[in-house]
Amino acid sequence: MYFVRRALNFIDMAPYRVLRSVRYVMIFSLLIVSGCGDYFDDLHPDGGDKRPVAVPGTVGPLVGQDAKDFTISDSLGNAVTLSTETASADGVVLYFTMWCPVCDSHTSNMRSFVVTRFPNITFFLVDYVSGSVADVRSAQLSNGYADFNVLADINDVAEKGFDATMGTTVVVNSSGVIVMNEDYKDGSRLIDILETLP
Amino acid sequence: MNKFSKTIMAVLIFTGAASFLAPTARAASCCGGGSASSLILPKFSRSMVDLSFDMEKYDGFWNKAGDRIEDPPGSDLKQYRLNLGYGLRLADRWQASVSAPYVWNDNKYSGINSKTNGLGDMRLNLWYEAFDAIQCVWKVKSIKDLKPATYLGLSLTLPTGISPYDDVENSFDVTGRGFYRLDGIALFDKTIYPWSATLLFSYGTHLERSVNREYGNYVEPYHKKLGDRALGTLSFGYSHFLENMSSMTYTAAYSDLQEDEGTIDGKTDATSGLRKRSVAGTIAYSTMERDWIIKATLSHAIKKNGWGENFPTTDIISIGVSHVFR
Repeated sequence: MYFVRRALNFIDMAPYRVLRSVRYVMIFSLLIVSGCGDYFDDLHPDGGDKRPVAVPGTVGPLVGQDAKDFTISDSLGNAVTLSTETASADGVVLYFTMWCPVCDSHTSNMRSFVVTRFPNITFFLVDYVSGSVADVRSAQLSNGYADFNVLADINDVAEKGFDATMGTTVVVNSSGVIVMNEDYKDGSRLIDILETLP
Repeated sequence: MNKFSKTIMAVLIFTGAASFLAPTARAASCCGGGSASSLILPKFSRSMVDLSFDMEKYDGFWNKAGDRIEDPPGSDLKQYRLNLGYGLRLADRWQASVSAPYVWNDNKYSGINSKTNGLGDMRLNLWYEAFDAIQCVWKVKSIKDLKPATYLGLSLTLPTGISPYDDVENSFDVTGRGFYRLDGIALFDKTIYPWSATLLFSYGTHLERSVNREYGNYVEPYHKKLGDRALGTLSFGYSHFLENMSSMTYTAAYSDLQEDEGTIDGKTDATSGLRKRSVAGTIAYSTMERDWIIKATLSHAIKKNGWGENFPTTDIISIGVSHVFR
């Protein structure tokens, strides 16, 4: 009887209280939705394939386009030119890092499971947040990546050329064409792409 | 037990629980942050409004192996959150609440200076109170006096924040994780004046979602799921009453937060998962009527190896005020 009485009490009271608060909830929700517009895509994710079609032979950040060439310094002060690197290897991998936990997890995974498997691919970390070559070198060493080639993207040339951000992983083949440009994930996707390279 | 004692108990539960359920430094602009505090309404009250402001300061991170790494030279990373919450009693033993954070990211590196802001991930909470009478006592006279106040809750996190999968320019814009999460929570609280102790467990699972965009760029669609999340918090409090019968409560807490590795297209993502252990201290002042509560919390991450994994090392200062409608 006790639980029945409790249940009835709850059923009796709840609708009135909920109804009374509905107007506040609606006003609150309206304010949020009207203020945030397109940012509510996560509430109902769209899984459709909306990748733009790249026009071969054009220069841009999309998969299938030619990579925009650049020359920037590495963390030791040496000039690195993308086209030179791609011409002398089966391909080039660029991983964009801001030395954060996610970046470290990705990079560590890449070092353990990808780099040694593809000796003819050149791997670079791209530091796009540090303001000097010295800072890039310092971050590289404190994060334990002395064995990696790290590019100092001081003027954001590479970042803008690939429309990149934290965790972006770009693969450019030996012809200078972009074959991958997306977040790192778990490494298996990168391996799949690299295995398609000649 | 008289009404005054009941209200004291309610305030203690409220101030303690609100502190423990506050976000324990999981927010980061790079991994998506901005969760809101949960709310627990005191017994015998109709509703409650809670407003708090957090300042989270980043100081390095733990890598996947648990080793602590310094941030890049010249960096200064902060996140500020304004949390607004509202709790409503539905019935004698039932209450619900909603909380929403607004997030400001302030990221400064030696080569980049970024300031962004936006709504964070909101939370909807439903609580069941497994007791009718106040469970606090002044003296233990029988075994019944040791029975704790038990709260059982469900919490739904809504991906209302700006996530990596929204139409954003880069990672600095991120204020949310982009996933729904459903948590089950159990909270046990016992007060034997002037001491109190609280134990909280929560276990949550993220819902899998489809992804076709990363940081504003469309990619080949895939399915992603973050790992299950567990949180345990143990706290002890002491309170004393001032001459005007307002009260001060001091609380020390220890939290352990862990998130399993997630999946991408059903396969385990070995780069994901996290852990953070932290300690926190809270000072709360409540008026004689127990309808206004002012509180300040410092959550501190131990900056040593092994106290976290794959997560930023952060300290959080939180200042808040709550008003209870009776």
